[in-house]
Amino acid sequence: MTTTNTDLLGKPLAEQEQDLVNVYEALKKLAAQSDLPPCAARNVRKALACMWQATNDLDLQFEQLYDLGV
Amino acid sequence: MAYSEYWNPKNETLPRQELQALQLLKLGRMCEWAYANSPFHRRKFEEAGFQPEQLKAPDDIRRIPFMTREEWMQSIMETPMFGDVVATAETNAIRYHLTSGTSGRTPIRVLDGMKDWEWIAEMWCYGLWGFGIRPEDISYFAFGYGSFIGFWGAHYGVEKIGSLVIPGGAQTSEGRVKQIIEMGVTTVFSTPTYALTLWQKAREMGIDLARESKVNKVICSGEPAGSIPAVKRQLEEAWGAKCGDTAGMTELGTIMIFECSHQPGGTHIIEDHFIEEVLSPNGDEPVGYGELGERVVTSFGRGFIPAIRYRTKDMVMKVPASTCSCGRTWDLYDGGIRGRWDDMKLIRGTNVYPRAVEAIVREYPAIDEFQIYIWRKDDLTDEIDIKLEIKPGFDAEWPGLQHKLAKDLASAHEGLRFNIVRVEHGYLPRFELKAKRLVDARPVAQYL
Repeated sequence: MTTTNTDLLGKPLAEQEQDLVNVYEALKKLAAQSDLPPCAARNVRKALACMWQATNDLDLQFEQLYDLGV
Repeated sequence: MAYSEYWNPKNETLPRQELQALQLLKLGRMCEWAYANSPFHRRKFEEAGFQPEQLKAPDDIRRIPFMTREEWMQSIMETPMFGDVVATAETNAIRYHLTSGTSGRTPIRVLDGMKDWEWIAEMWCYGLWGFGIRPEDISYFAFGYGSFIGFWGAHYGVEKIGSLVIPGGAQTSEGRVKQIIEMGVTTVFSTPTYALTLWQKAREMGIDLARESKVNKVICSGEPAGSIPAVKRQLEEAWGAKCGDTAGMTELGTIMIFECSHQPGGTHIIEDHFIEEVLSPNGDEPVGYGELGERVVTSFGRGFIPAIRYRTKDMVMKVPASTCSCGRTWDLYDGGIRGRWDDMKLIRGTNVYPRAVEAIVREYPAIDEFQIYIWRKDDLTDEIDIKLEIKPGFDAEWPGLQHKLAKDLASAHEGLRFNIVRVEHGYLPRFELKAKRLVDARPVAQYL
């Protein structure tokens, strides 16, 4: 899970924002696992691509995910 | 159901000082990524003596070298198929699209990873939500769904919003009009020119779209006409609907500007995902609000092919956010994209560079002289003719040449139809110095 409790501009995260970050980080952790069945591995990536949008739009992260195939 | 007026209330109303801080942070990270992973950008940064850690203030963006379409094309030709601008393994791509090149047959080819493709739809969501599209809408795409990126991103954006999507696909204009009526469509996506063609087709069928359809929004893209008041007025009267302008480019994968529902006569810049500089044409001096200049764009979206300080040659005039009453803090382009600083022409949404056409025409030894003639049919549809003279003694080649040249030109221009017209030998003007083989006979756009 993430260790940060501020957004990219240094503002404290609201509870809802922290929840979004937690989901995003959980999906990243799952995407890094190599033994998920295809149905899980691919849907996790699809979900992670969507969560990247929500967390990036809200200034919670800005990073690339190609090493996870996303 | 009550919805927020904004897709992203946090950033669409972010104070400008914070917006600039956010842009600077994203710019630094994108430059670090490009420097570390794209040989093209690393080479250019090193040649310019630029290092990402030099970015300390918004003005430091001027330390970054420009990226041009010609350099990008050169990279594609030297390192096929996608050039050394690509920043990750091509196997990470889930999408391929292309746009016509500036010379010859080589197109600009682009790839997107999974999150890039999702981001492309996300940018459309900013614009479409801002113009008033909601889950209750029924959206119709008058679009052929080819390898040209066109409305692909909008399609997925509308799905994400939760509106019912009806892909028009390959069918006749008559078939599309029928579908728009019978499905109770509320939003139509089209180039401005084709939206007028559909209206004309409906009239021929005895249908008054303004009275008999449920369409209340027409979303335009692909041509500048969506922000030209006279065309917008014509479209709004014809359809009995509000007409909203958007503009994007294949090089970025998506839209970077959109008209909001307040219809301020311009398009907001999506400033949390792009930095849009307006510079003196072909120069590097910023121009102020209210002055015409060239768009230079930096995108924070597609990391697969970073676009950093990309010179677009688009003609724009930036005005402050306060020009619009919608409450967004994002600046606008008054009149959207107003035109071009180079000789590129937009024909039914497709980019056409005269020198690319010439390179293909010159492959035919039977052709003596030619002219590119662009005109507007029935005040509605843009047409492009290639008028040509056949050399004496080559008459037998004409029928086959007519067919093959049309096919070659279409294949280099995303399927665009070129009319190949033979004229008498000696009919076309000859040039001793700088040849002018392009005639654009369309009416001039009026912005005021």
